[in-house]
Parts: sequence; C-alpha cells; structure tokens
Amino acid sequence: MASSETWTRWRYRYIPDKFVGEILSKSWIDTLIPVMILAGVVTVFSIAMPGFLAASSLSDIARIYGEYLIIIVGITVVMMAGGIDLTVGSTFALCNLVALLVINSMEVNLALGIPAVMLVGGLVGLINGVLIGYLGMRAFLTTLVMLILIRAVVDQGLLDYGQVIARGFNASATWEFMAIGDVFGVPSSLVVAVVIAIVGHIVLTRMRFGWHVSAVGGSRRSAYNAGIRVKRTICATYVLSGLLTGLAATFYAARMSSASADVGKGLEVTMLTAAVLGGISLGGGRGSITKAVIGAMIVLLVQNSLIRMGLSSGTSSLVLGLLLLAAVAVDVRWVKNRHKVLARAYVSPTYFRLPPLPETAAGSDSDYALNDKLRGVEAIGLGELDGPEDVIFDQNDNLYCGSRHGDVIRFFAPDHKRWEVFAHIGGHPLGFAFDREGNLHTCVGGMGLFRISPAGEVTKLSDETNRSLLSIVDDSRLRLADDLDIAPDGKVYFSEATVRYEMYDWMVDALEGRGNGRIICYDPKTNSSRTMLPDLQLPNGICVEKGGQSLLFAETWGCRITRWYFDGPNKGRKEIVVDNLPGYPDNINRASDGSYWCALCGMRAPVFDLALRMPDFRRRMVRKVGRDDWLYPNMNTGCVIKFDADGNILDVLWDLGGEAHPMITSIREHKGWLYLGGIYNNRVGKYRIPGADPNWTSLDDYWGERA
Amino acid sequence: MIGVLKRAWDNFRGSGEAAVTVPPMDGALRPNRLLEEAPVVATAEAPDDLADGGRGVVFSSGSRLCRLTPEGGETIADLGSGITAIAGEPGGRLAAALASGSIVVMDGAGARTSIASLGDGPARCVTALAFASDGGLLVAQGSAKRAHTEWKRDLMERRSDGTLWRMAADGANQTRLAAGLGWPLGIVETQDGRLVVAESWRHRLVSIAGGGRPEPVLADLPGYPARIRRDPAGGYWLALFAPRNQIIEFVQREPAFLARMIEEIDEAYWVAPSLKPSSTFLEPLQGGAQKHLGILKPWAPTRSYGLVVRLDAAFRPVASWHSRADGTRHGVFSCLPDGDRLLAASKGGDVIVEIRPGFMTTSGAT
Repeated sequence: MASSETWTRWRYRYIPDKFVGEILSKSWIDTLIPVMILAGVVTVFSIAMPGFLAASSLSDIARIYGEYLIIIVGITVVMMAGGIDLTVGSTFALCNLVALLVINSMEVNLALGIPAVMLVGGLVGLINGVLIGYLGMRAFLTTLVMLILIRAVVDQGLLDYGQVIARGFNASATWEFMAIGDVFGVPSSLVVAVVIAIVGHIVLTRMRFGWHVSAVGGSRRSAYNAGIRVKRTICATYVLSGLLTGLAATFYAARMSSASADVGKGLEVTMLTAAVLGGISLGGGRGSITKAVIGAMIVLLVQNSLIRMGLSSGTSSLVLGLLLLAAVAVDVRWVKNRHKVLARAYVSPTYFRLPPLPETAAGSDSDYALNDKLRGVEAIGLGELDGPEDVIFDQNDNLYCGSRHGDVIRFFAPDHKRWEVFAHIGGHPLGFAFDREGNLHTCVGGMGLFRISPAGEVTKLSDETNRSLLSIVDDSRLRLADDLDIAPDGKVYFSEATVRYEMYDWMVDALEGRGNGRIICYDPKTNSSRTMLPDLQLPNGICVEKGGQSLLFAETWGCRITRWYFDGPNKGRKEIVVDNLPGYPDNINRASDGSYWCALCGMRAPVFDLALRMPDFRRRMVRKVGRDDWLYPNMNTGCVIKFDADGNILDVLWDLGGEAHPMITSIREHKGWLYLGGIYNNRVGKYRIPGADPNWTSLDDYWGERA
Repeated sequence: MIGVLKRAWDNFRGSGEAAVTVPPMDGALRPNRLLEEAPVVATAEAPDDLADGGRGVVFSSGSRLCRLTPEGGETIADLGSGITAIAGEPGGRLAAALASGSIVVMDGAGARTSIASLGDGPARCVTALAFASDGGLLVAQGSAKRAHTEWKRDLMERRSDGTLWRMAADGANQTRLAAGLGWPLGIVETQDGRLVVAESWRHRLVSIAGGGRPEPVLADLPGYPARIRRDPAGGYWLALFAPRNQIIEFVQREPAFLARMIEEIDEAYWVAPSLKPSSTFLEPLQGGAQKHLGILKPWAPTRSYGLVVRLDAAFRPVASWHSRADGTRHGVFSCLPDGDRLLAASKGGDVIVEIRPGFMTTSGAT
C-alpha cells in the first residue's frame, strides 16, 4: 500500500467528517450564525473598550435589555407568522404617555394601571391585526402608516397633557421596584422579560397557537387548507405584539418618568434589526425565541458600545442600518442556499479497501465463474409486482411478498397466479419471517418492525431503539429496518441498513463506505429494542443458524458474511464466514441440505472498488457531478450463491445479461424450488433446484413439523 | 500568474476549464429512436469507416476491406493489419490506413502504393483520410506519440498532439497543415476549398485555414465527433461515436484517480466513453442507469450512444438520428450519403444501417 494511501486511511479513521453534514442538517443550525455574530461583537468590543464586560457596565444595559426583550418576543411572533410590525416605536411612545398619565398622574392602582396600558397597546395591535389579517392589507404599509398615525396622536397628547405628566408622581413601592429594583441583582424588567421569553418559547414550540403561527408563516395556503384559521392567527399576533409593547413601555415609564417626543423613535428599526440579526426570517415560518434573545443582545451591545465610544447618534443609526442590510442579505442567501450546502456536505465518504476482486470469468476455475443457470426461470406476478424485496411461504404454501406501494401481497397456492393484498402497512415491506405461532414479521423501510397475524391484523412492534451516546443524528428512530430472523426464544434480530439515509437513498450510503448500519434485537417479553452490533457496513440479510445460538449476517458494502453468537458459551463472539465476495450480499436464508443461500444484489466493479480507496475523489464527485451521474456499485446484475457453515462456496447461480432478474435481493427455498425477489424487480422468479428435497420447507426447519 | 488564479477560481466555482457540465441534447439534437430502428443493410464485425470508391460503397471491418452488396458485404481485400480509416474517390481510387503504420492507396486496377512515413515518423495512428478535390490525399493523425488502439487513454488524458497533413496520392510533397489537434477524427473539404476537421477530444469542428489557428465552426457538441462527410445535395453529415458524460468529464479532471485507474484497471472497465452498451457488471454504473422493474431508461446516463447529425452548409445542426442508452447501435464512427439514402456504420452494434433522410423533415422529433 502506498504511503499516501496509509495516510488517507488514518486521516479518515480519526477525522470524522460526517459530523459537518449531520450538524448542518439539524434544525437548530440556523441559530449558529447569530451566536457567531454575537461572539464576534463581544470579541471586537472587548478589545476596543477595556471594561466592556465589567459587571457595572453590564447591569446598566441589562435593564434596557429587559425592555427590548419584552418587545422582541412580540415581534418574533408577528414575523414567524409572516408579518412585520413597524408600529412598535409609536405604540411604545403612546403606551409610555398613557402609563405616565394613568399611573403617575392619576395614581391608579398598578394592578389596574398596567393592564390598562397594555390594553392600549393591544388596541393598536388589534387595529393592525384587523387591517392586515381580516382585510388582507399589506403588513409593511399598514404598520408603517399606523406608525405615523400613532406618532401624531402621541405628539398631540404631549401638547395636551405634557404639563400634567410633568407634575405627576406615584410613590408606590411596586412602581419604584419596576423602575430600579432587582431580584438577586437581576433588574426587574429583565426578570419579567425572561419569564415572558420562556413562556413564549414554550408557546411557539410546544403549543397549538405557536404551531399555527409557524404553519401560517411557512405556507399560508397550506395552513388554510389544513384548517387553521389563518386570519385570526395573524390578527392575534399583532394584538400580542401590541400588548407586550405596552408592558415594555410601562417599565420604561417607571424608569424614566419622561414623555419627550423622542421616546420610541427608531425603535422599530432597532427591533427589526435585532430580529433579523437573530435569524428570524423575513419570509416567515423560520425563527425562535432563542434567536430573538441573541439578536436583541447583539443590537443592544452594538448600540450601547457605539454610544460609549463617543459616536454621534447619527453614526450609530448608520451602523445599525448597515447591520440590518447585512443581516437581511445573509438571511435571504442562507434560506435560499441552505439545502444546497446541506446536500453537498451531507455525503461524507471515508476510506475503505476491499481485497482484490475475485475472478468471475466464465470457464475459469473460480467458485464464482459465470454460468446461465438462472436463464429461463419461471416468473410469478410478472408486471403486477413492484419491488418484492423478500419472499416467504406459510404452511399452506401461499407465497407472501412486499410491494413498493406498502402492501404485503399473498399469492395463493398451488400455482401462485391469483393474488390479494394480505395487509396494507404503508411502507415498503422488506425482510419477512414467520414466528412459531404463524405470525408474519416484517421489516418495513422507513417505519420499523411489524407483525401481521394470520388474519391480516397489523401490529407495530418497534420503531425505535436506544439512542447511542455520541451520535449527532437521532439514531433512536429506525430509518431503514431491512431483514430479520427470529431466534427459538422468540427474540427478533433485525438489521437496520443505515442510520444516515432514508429508504430511497440507501444506495448513496455505498458512496460513504462507512459502517452506518446496525443489528438490533427486539425482545417481545419487554416489548423493546436494543442495538446489539453498531457500525456495520449496510447490514442486510440475517439468518439464525440451526443451533439457535448464532446468526449469520451479511454486510452489503463490506462484501462479507459474518457469524455472531447471541447466546450460548460463545456469546458475543464474531467470526467472518465468507470474505471478499465478488458482489454485494443481501438476504441469507437456509437451504434444505443444511447450507445457506445468499443473494448478491449487485456486483463489484473495479472502478468503484478503486473509488472506495479514494474518499476525496468521491467527495468531490458528490459536490461537482449531478446526482444521477454519480458512480454507484453495479446493481444491474445479481446472482445467488450457496455456502456452507464453514464459508465454502458450494454453488453459484447467474443470470447472464440480467434480462429477467437484474437485481436479486432475496432467495427462499421451498419444496425443491428457489424463489427470487428483487427490490427493483417486477416479478418473483422460480428456479427448480436440482436434487433438492421436495418436501423441505423453511417453516418446518425453523419451528418443526406441525401436526 | 493570472492563469494560476483563473484555474483556482474555476476550480472553486466549477466553471471554465473545471466545468464538468455537458451540453444537453436539445433543439435539432432532440433524442429519437430513428437510428435504433433504421433498417439493416449489412452485418459485419465492428464496421468502422465507409467510403465510396466509384464502384460501390466500401467499408472496413478489422483488417478486411469489404464491398457492400445487396446481400450484405463481400471481402475485397485483407490488408493484414487493422484498418483505421479509409477514403475513396469517384475515379475508383481507395486509400486505407493501417494500424501497423502505413497508408495503402489502391487504384481502380488494383495496383497498390504504400506510404510508410508521415513527416519524419511512421504513418501510424492515422484516424481519418480524405481525397482532396485536386486529387491529393488529406491525412489526419490522432496522436504523434500514441498508437491508434490507445485512443481511450488519449481521450481520458485529453491529449492534443494530433496533426493534419496534405500530400500527393503517392505520398510525396507532404505538408503539415495543422498541429496540436485533439484527436482529429474526420476531415471534410467544403465547397469553397476550406478544410474542416472534427477535433474529437475537444467536442468541436474546426476550420483549418492556411497556417492560421484552427477556427471553430461548431463547438460544444454533446458527444465526440467522428467522421464528417459532405452531402452532394448540400450540407454535411456528422457521426458522433460516443456521448459526453458528466462523470467522464469529472474523471478527466481528477489526475490522481485517473492515473490509478489507467494503471490498475483493465481498459474495458474504465470510466471512459465506450462503443457498446454495458455488457458486464465489471463496467462502472451510474446512479441513473440503475434498472427499475427490469427496464433501463433510455435517458439514463450512458457511456455509449449512437448519433448521426445532419448539418447545413454553415455547419449548424438541423436534424439528428439517435440510438439511446437502451439501444444497441452505438459507436457510429462513419456515415456516407449514397444516392437518396445515408449509410451509417455502427461499430459497437456490428451493423451498417440505412437512413432515408427524406422521411425526416426538420428537428428529428418523431
């Protein structure tokens, strides 16, 4: 092996590239950008201004931060529903005026005064909500006009009541607490803000209203079609925003006790900047309270620092405006390109080296020499089937197979010409096995492990296993349960091909060459599943051996078959039975003479074997070349091998040219015939095995003869 | 310096020289099955080139030179070495280039002249021959270094050391008309005496004017152009022997992988254009070519294809005849107008078929 190849091997073993794609595919990844901006802001200003992070400096702005936070929670909800609220600046000023008038001058009890002020804000929000939600006016224009209108009202109010307000003073302790009090050093406004933010987070992520808001923002039409009251939801978001602005204004009134014409000026731009910087999309549907919290923090730190650095307020607005522009640009580009970045970064190839490809030429003395034994096999259900991955027989010789439409199909004995849908599951049934009681167990791609009673009743047995400690993708959920077998004690051992890809992307897993799959055991006694063998290269076929203490499993991309003892004196031992197959092994099943059949669903091509040793090449290929043009393992030709418990190859059945059975994913011997299934085939093949026991059935071999 | 920066930028963007995109078959090149369904005129093992030697159509198959008869083909000569190109002129003269390194010119009476050298080397790797209107011989050499059989390697490495020569029919007065060509695989003389060459590895047709740089007349073809023939009725016929394919373009730009593939893997199993549809699992498979329900989709990505294109007098494509991914008449190197029909030799499909262009009006759509 060349030294560069050794280096490649070590590099891919110890640098886990796959995490990049997995992290990018998380929904919380959007928050990472604002977090990074925040970190940048903190770094820059800590260097530029000594004492920036001093406690005294922070406690000053924490009080303002509380007020900002209360407002921005409302704005977040509005923006999540696809709207925008520019009125906040004026609403804030109006509520400030009303608060000073009602609470300071008229000395109304706070328990009445605060709700009254909030109601004023809510009323403004209601007007916005009715105009935008029910009358269908443009949010931007409507709230902009309302901004100007309310500002006029405030100016008029200042003229009329300016003198009255200036004389007012409320001596209530609570009012003073709102102004300058704190709880364990945390300013009162921030305490309230945190409570509101937590409630807001729970509402948005866990409750009906929040889900409706996201749905409306994500796609208004779909939300409507799903029965959500779109108009009411939109209206409610503006009312909420108004109410919260009112509350924030009360805190401001208590703190400043001033009603100048400058109050709340430019607040709408500040808030919008904060929200967009935080990553709340202007297009609606994407965002969270966390993002709003971070966004508000960034804006406040920038604003405050600029003032302290002695910049004029004009310059400060300029900086804020530029920030807003930059944030909007990032938002637009990110939302548009996120899935592209993900699609390119997710496939993460690693180094894998297979031994030299065994000879397959016809006439050679290889175990795998080509022949045409499968030429002219009989076809069952030709043109009627779509994707019979596995085939199985019950005690009455009826044939069962799966279909891509999510059905289990039963062909009636003896000629297997008539068929019916035995059970509908909804996902593509892959492997099958019968238990002692005659229940049909099946692995369903994308769904999990299911049991079908002889009457056709479907029960879900398992769709999750234990989550492993260090995985980033959620591997507790079963993505691609593949084949299964049942041990004498009733435990079901099944393989999950890959935890990184969905059912119809399973072949992309071949490009990675990593062990992404696992073998899981379902225990009917506890009705739960546990992962037994992780990190396998597309584990596929499973066959419990006659002794009942071990099973054989095939690793498709590893081109090998391994024995694993799950019970008995050798429990836990793994030994390779067949290595370096010329193709990709799929299902394994017992043969009548005590040996095993294995289907090879595809064959190795030298170019692909070479590509497996060059992960950089594959990564660039995924990035540069269109998906349909990627190199794949050759899945257009398959064959069947027969091997014994020691791994000797006893027979090989080829279909030269692959006309009838381009891909063979499963085989099942039944009464002297071998039945062939294929996940992309339109038929089940039937091959007469020369000299096989005409009475042998798999069912009897597993569970003994029935009376 | 600027070149380095441009390459780095192209690599990052996947643009310019680093682009692995291929032009779509659209417009006049819209796919059909007309070539796949065309009637067979003769079956022969790997028919390569066609020529009209005055007394009927002649084709080459391996080392044999055959005449096309209503029953198929009859061998008129076995030249003892693989024939890489032939040319004929109405006067009855025939020229054939041999892989062993010579050009044989036969006159109507059967007398043979052998031209053994081209420039200062042997006449090997001749990829196309044509008689000029003045009776001279035009010779295209695919590569100055490589043998004709190494075309796949030359293509994958995107070499361009092909040359174009003019000489008298007895091999005298050799002049090199152009050098640095990317495997010139077809020569045609236009009405006004210009020479147009199919520069296969660069997917284009170029016009060679005396001494100047080759001027593209048709570029960005979706396949590798092979022989080009003038239609007596006006316009030209172009055969393209294989399609361009994203994965091939990509591998051409992956030096490390390419070197190891050439080094370690049998040529037949390379990621490279091919003349026949895939017949063994040892050949590479692309995702889109996965069979579903036993069917290979005609639009699947493929490394072999059959394509004959009709060009107008200005070398613009006007119609096309296809054999797609699910077909067998792939690897068409040559076509020849013969009366009111067009003959096309499918080297990968082992047949010569006839096309009646009269049936076809415009875009090739059925």
